[in-house]
Amino acid sequence: MADPNRDSQAGAVLDALGLAVFVHASGALRLQGNPPDWLRSVWPTLTESDATLPDSSPFLENFLVDARECWSAGEGQRVRSGPWTEQTADGSEVSLEATALTVGGRPILLLERLGDVFEAKKSMLQKARETVIAYQRLNSETQKKEILLNCISEEMNAALANVITALRLIELERDPARIATLLGLASRATAEQQTLINKVLNVFAAELEGLRGRDGTGTAETKLADAIRSAEQNVASQFAEKGVRLNITGSGLGRIRVAMDAALLTRVLSTLLENGLKSAPAGDEVRLIFGEESGAVLIRVADNGPSFPPDICANLFSRAGTGAPGPQAAQLPLQFCRIAVENCDGEIGYESRKEGGNSFWIMLPALEPTK
Amino acid sequence: MIQKKICMIGSSGVGKTSLISKFVHSMFSDKYLTTVGVKIDKKTISVDGAEVMLMIWDLEGDDEYQRVQMSYLRGASGYLLVADGTRQITLDQAIEIQGRVTAAVGPVPFLLALNKSDLASQWEIDDSRLDDLTARGWKTFKTSAKEGAGVEEAFVELGRQMIRPH
Repeated sequence: MADPNRDSQAGAVLDALGLAVFVHASGALRLQGNPPDWLRSVWPTLTESDATLPDSSPFLENFLVDARECWSAGEGQRVRSGPWTEQTADGSEVSLEATALTVGGRPILLLERLGDVFEAKKSMLQKARETVIAYQRLNSETQKKEILLNCISEEMNAALANVITALRLIELERDPARIATLLGLASRATAEQQTLINKVLNVFAAELEGLRGRDGTGTAETKLADAIRSAEQNVASQFAEKGVRLNITGSGLGRIRVAMDAALLTRVLSTLLENGLKSAPAGDEVRLIFGEESGAVLIRVADNGPSFPPDICANLFSRAGTGAPGPQAAQLPLQFCRIAVENCDGEIGYESRKEGGNSFWIMLPALEPTK
Repeated sequence: MIQKKICMIGSSGVGKTSLISKFVHSMFSDKYLTTVGVKIDKKTISVDGAEVMLMIWDLEGDDEYQRVQMSYLRGASGYLLVADGTRQITLDQAIEIQGRVTAAVGPVPFLLALNKSDLASQWEIDDSRLDDLTARGWKTFKTSAKEGAGVEEAFVELGRQMIRPH
């Protein structure tokens, strides 16, 4: 004979687990025990024990085909429906899962309201799928850029081949008129190449300008210590290879925070350190000095290498362009630094030091120290 | 009234739920919310004068985390195969899924919806690719769950194919 107390306790446990138990008999699914609230919210007719589960759910109707197969296979078999969503009487949604199994020769259908574990799984899937989609987009973008770069290389190579051919012919030519024609050809090919380079730089410049507005909400916040540490790690192997020391000095590093995106600040600092390393004599040092000055943070990167000529200094942070001589390879990253810093209401500058060497500096708005 | 079960099938993030949301509730949200499991909606449409009640099964996206459970397609009269026109890989995946579905449930009417047609600048699917599919007998629609373009047309056409005598 059934113990009513034990049945009641079992019912309470099932309720706490979000489970409702049905027995399949005479073609109907009959509820065992009292219906939990969530069950009644989905099927309002399930008000008491032995009530029949209505066949109003197309999902369950479909699952019962698998359930019947499971029940006919006997004890030890179990089949799960996978999660599905039902609407409650008040219009909200509830996630459920059904399990069919045989217990003591009786075909059982368990209905489970999915709770925290399901929500956690859903949250993880959400993040995982967002990441996959982002990766696919990035991959696609990279492929497009690779094709573009290949096309650019082909076109530049063709223009360069014209210049080389013209120069070789000039070397062999004695007729001044022919030499003039060949020089004209070489000049045109050079101009074509320069136009192409400018187009490429314009594309990159447009991308850099696209950075404007990133974190333009003013909510970006970075601990200077973190950005310096990341930048230091980025350049460590290059410094080691050239035998150049990186000396970092300043006070209050632990509490200084600046209004700039962490990834951008790290990239700016890395670029300045790489520039310093290029100029610094082997075995020498590059200094990163930071400090606070009336609501702003000043970061300076200095080296003892040869100073840039004045005509180069004037265009250090602008787009490399019209064939001006100088360290153009450094100009594009420096242009990025300028845009990134100015985007955060900061300033960037360069000074050639009297005692020799170069000093790049950035000034960024400081944030109030965290209490 | 004729009642037909249809399933929405495709990779994650292609816009299956958004297409249903637009078609059934005339709503759209830019925010991506992954579907886990199955959700069923209903909508009655008119197909060439006949009232057809569509029972639309929104199935979780097919990916490395979850494969389409073929038992969900049991009794389906057709399905809408959805790909994201701004991610070519989702079309490759849709073609692969279609092969699995056909192997599992046989030849069932279906349409290919290339969704997100509003994102023209990011579109990655060549028309030649669609021509190849058309040559194989596939019916394709460019849809935009955001703007509604092609959405109703795709569902109605699927309804037409399902009620047409075979």
